[in-house]
Amino acid sequence: MDTEGLIAETRKILLERYAALENKADILKARELKDLFARIPTLSPNERSSFGQAVNKLSNELKLMAAGESDDATDLQPIDVTAPFDTNAALPSLLPAEDGSIHPLTQEIERLSDVFGRMGFAIETSREIDDQYHMFETLNFPKGHPARDDYDTFMTEETDKDGERFIAPAHTSTMQNRMLKKYRNNLEKDEPIAVVVPDRVFRNEDLDARHEHTFYQVEGVYVAKGVHAGMLVATLQKFLEEYYGKELNVRVNPFYFPFTEPSFEFALSCPFCDGNGCHICSQEGWIELLGCGMIHPNVLKAADIDPNIYTGFAWGCGIDRLVMMKYGIEDVRHFHSAKLDFLRQF
Amino acid sequence: MRVSLNQVKQYINFELPPVGELVARINQQLGGVENVIDLSDVYKDAVIVKVVECEKHPNADKLSVCKVDDGGKTKDATRDKGGLVEVVCGAPNVHAGMLAVWLPPKSIVPATYHDSEPFVLGARELRGVVSNGMLASPKELGLGDSHEGILEINPAEQTPSGVGIKPGTSFARIYGLNDTIIEIENKMFTHRPDLFGQLGVAREVAGIQHKAFKSPDWYATASVDELQPASDTLDLAVFNDAKDVVPRFMAAIVRDVTIKPSPTWLQAELVRLGGKPINNIVDVTNYIMLLTGQPTHAYDYDKLRGHKLGARLAKAGEKVTLLNHKTYVLDETDIVIVDDEGPVGLGGIMGGGDSEVGETTKHIVLECANFDMYAVRRSSMRHGIFTDALTRFNKGQSPLQNPYALMQLIQSVFDTAGGALGSIVFDEKNEISQNRKVNVTTEFINERLGLKLDEKEISALLQNVEFTVEPGLQVTAPFWRTDIELPEDIVEEVGRLYGFDKLPRELPKRSILPAIKNPENELKQKIRQSLSKAGANEVLTYSFVHEKLLTNAEYGTKGAFRLSNALSPDLHYYRPRILPSLLDKVHMNIKSGYDEFTLFEIGKGHDKGLDLNEEGLPREPQFVDVVYAAKKPQEGAAFYRVRRLLDQLADDLGLELVYAANKFSASTRLFEPSRSAFVNDKVSGAFIGIVGEFAPSVMKKFKLPPYSAGLMLDFEGLRDASIQSTQSYRPLSRFPSVTQDISLITDVGINYRSVETIVVSILNKLEEDFYAHFEPTSIYRADGASQKTTTFRITVSNSQRTLTENEVTAILGDIAALAKREIGASV
Repeated sequence: MDTEGLIAETRKILLERYAALENKADILKARELKDLFARIPTLSPNERSSFGQAVNKLSNELKLMAAGESDDATDLQPIDVTAPFDTNAALPSLLPAEDGSIHPLTQEIERLSDVFGRMGFAIETSREIDDQYHMFETLNFPKGHPARDDYDTFMTEETDKDGERFIAPAHTSTMQNRMLKKYRNNLEKDEPIAVVVPDRVFRNEDLDARHEHTFYQVEGVYVAKGVHAGMLVATLQKFLEEYYGKELNVRVNPFYFPFTEPSFEFALSCPFCDGNGCHICSQEGWIELLGCGMIHPNVLKAADIDPNIYTGFAWGCGIDRLVMMKYGIEDVRHFHSAKLDFLRQF
Repeated sequence: MRVSLNQVKQYINFELPPVGELVARINQQLGGVENVIDLSDVYKDAVIVKVVECEKHPNADKLSVCKVDDGGKTKDATRDKGGLVEVVCGAPNVHAGMLAVWLPPKSIVPATYHDSEPFVLGARELRGVVSNGMLASPKELGLGDSHEGILEINPAEQTPSGVGIKPGTSFARIYGLNDTIIEIENKMFTHRPDLFGQLGVAREVAGIQHKAFKSPDWYATASVDELQPASDTLDLAVFNDAKDVVPRFMAAIVRDVTIKPSPTWLQAELVRLGGKPINNIVDVTNYIMLLTGQPTHAYDYDKLRGHKLGARLAKAGEKVTLLNHKTYVLDETDIVIVDDEGPVGLGGIMGGGDSEVGETTKHIVLECANFDMYAVRRSSMRHGIFTDALTRFNKGQSPLQNPYALMQLIQSVFDTAGGALGSIVFDEKNEISQNRKVNVTTEFINERLGLKLDEKEISALLQNVEFTVEPGLQVTAPFWRTDIELPEDIVEEVGRLYGFDKLPRELPKRSILPAIKNPENELKQKIRQSLSKAGANEVLTYSFVHEKLLTNAEYGTKGAFRLSNALSPDLHYYRPRILPSLLDKVHMNIKSGYDEFTLFEIGKGHDKGLDLNEEGLPREPQFVDVVYAAKKPQEGAAFYRVRRLLDQLADDLGLELVYAANKFSASTRLFEPSRSAFVNDKVSGAFIGIVGEFAPSVMKKFKLPPYSAGLMLDFEGLRDASIQSTQSYRPLSRFPSVTQDISLITDVGINYRSVETIVVSILNKLEEDFYAHFEPTSIYRADGASQKTTTFRITVSNSQRTLTENEVTAILGDIAALAKREIGASV
């Protein structure tokens, strides 16, 4: 067969097959087409040019057809969008209620918010883009402070009015200054500032079964006259006892955060084994749960609150871990996977 | 931070509690203990022996057969008549009369102790001679890399334990290797420069046990003035041209040093503290850092060009090659250590390769400087260099510490490498301020801790860790505590030293004022409940998306905020809307075997096209987005499936919605214009969102099944609408209602809403006593017909009387008449 005939023959075969194909783009992967291309380098130089052009022409024709196909493949008759149901059709039914589910993280946020709400805390939300002023400066992390390195913070290419990159908040504490200001007037009325902020936060971390770059925290702030560190411990203990529905032991270890002084790491006796040691608490009997402390005077000052008159405490607690422990979820990545296998269990 | 308990013991004058108890205390009052390593087990069998005889092996040139004396200490050893043990040794340096370290049979080679399969020695025949265990090299003992020969113990050498060296003495005991190492989380010490040295930790260990600590004289009272150079000094010029970021730059020459391996005790100390022995000069500089937290550096005097050493800011484009053999291009914010011709080190971070101390070094220059924590951090971050020195400098070491550290360093060089002071001690510095007095009161402290301590108790706690406390609680922190500035810092100190576990736990008192509700959160919860009740599954997907997701959804990346430091391309952009993320999750779930499902998410979007808010931050509009997909087509268009869901949501929220044809705009590009609608709230007029099927290109790129549709709802719109929604109630009628159907035949071009409007307008005109209710029951169009029939079921009642069928028929007649007039409908 001459080369011209070969191409014509192949074209015919491919067009026939194309008509029957379900995924039209598959025609571009046809063996016959590949064979034609493979033939090009075997030809003599004077044959090669014209044959190559002809093969390319066929290939382009098929490409165009496959590409054009996508737009008229679907039957796109206009419909009457003002009607509640389609012509010649009944009112569609909803999916069965038992298929529906609310995400375990939002369920837990709701539970936490309920307990804190009953304890007198207002519930607020956080931001997903913030500035370094709120994430660091108002929290007593001066510019260039090494403690900023402890927060693997995502930053944007875009910058704020001071030319600083925006950030994806690495903790819900990014809302502290705003909360203190928003509820500052409470203090004059002899009422405390009492707010919790459960929301999404971000850390620039590699993903694995225990690490997520996107997770949830609940921030808490309490400011009034005469608030001391023992009240911080008692408040969190009461919250956890209410949350777990049982009496618990708690302990604090010293820690360092620029925005609290003193700072603590807070642990509770494992509620799943009553402190006897189990796989959830790694046989320790204790679970390191959150960071907390007495609000640093510079943080109060940044919100125009006089630290000589008012004192307060703050904490930040990871929510994902609470949920993982509660249900025995083995991989933190499930939360944002949108897998129905996972979601429909809740 | 590795802490050696044997080190700690050297500085305190009381007995430490058992390790478990001490660790618990450190956890509660100092910082989280990550690991406790018991070294004593690693070295428990290693014993000092004297090589009494050493003969050539009869069958091997390179081996020697030794008889060693272990003082009879090792049980179960096979001994000759004289009580000596036979060991075969291949080391070239083995000789009769030497002291060596013997590892008896059944003992584990210390260097392999932490391996998955530790090497256990035995009594093994080597070419016809039985060797009982082995004589150990430094490498086998875990002391550095040298394994050319066995470790020779010098009996005259000083040992930290002060125990005399003789055959049978435990190797571990002499060199402090019967140690426990406690690793404390560095994060706890971010503000504590002093806790990056053994001395600082020892002080705290005393303080938390309410015991007084006294720093050794060399750290507290020694004076560099005591050091006078020998008469024959060497030429050296020292300068500091960057005093703003180099508050202090000290240097001195030690001439005629002998470079060699460090004495065994020093090697052992370094290894315990996590260091690596190199040579005596490098080892002592590291050792001083490990003890005090003050990094120091040694230069080869003859390699400093022009015999000059100083600190200055780098020039833009200047280069330096460091000890890691890498070359860095600098700018004006980097601090460099320079000689007469250029940089020899990156200040506070790493020394340079060209001026390194090596075997041929004769004279050394010791540097003990202080660097600004912010400046060194910036340099380290930019160049990506992280060193032990940086870890310490970026905590803010005190420049008042330098003379003590330098003096101890010079003394240590004399002790381990000989030599004599070859210059004055240079000290180029800014004015250095002493720690300020902080005034507190017992009330201030007690109020914040809930305690009732008196001044005496508070003073004692602080004085234990060498604070100066004058009457009336005027507190001055010792120079190494650069973190104490505020009265609150004293509160922390007192609380921690006293014990936070002993604070009284009492709840704050509160009034009965109800806590404020959050209506937005409550609305979101209502939406979740409505949608999940309608069979939808709430998902959470990332706020960051891959570029491809944006282009596939016809958004492009122009309006999307871009992350500058994302680890993966999957997270490069903030998503402008949620729906594309949901579309991305459809195919995967279909593949997992789900034939029909609805996913929804409530979340935020970010769009560079929007103006900034009053704080100068991007606005964060919230959305309620939904995708419905079915593998097999169902009755009617997919559009009506999601519209049904939205109508249900509206019903649950008390809203009535109005659907109008899609007025095509940029934000709706992913919807197919002819099969999607704009939705508004009827009462408030608020824009609620878009409902519809997707554009073919979008369906294809996301591999959606043909039968799919979605919702993109403005949460703010829903919120505004639901604020205005009112629940209405109609008293139940005592009289029966009448129900009749009416079918209106219209041209297919007349949309449903036009037909419905006719019905509504007639029903609305009924007198007050009437209550009328209608619902559409079918829309029928014969195949290919140009007309359709819309049927409504109309129920009418009257609160005062029983209606007759005729009255209702009349109402339907009015509807038919109006429909004929307005839209040309027939009945």
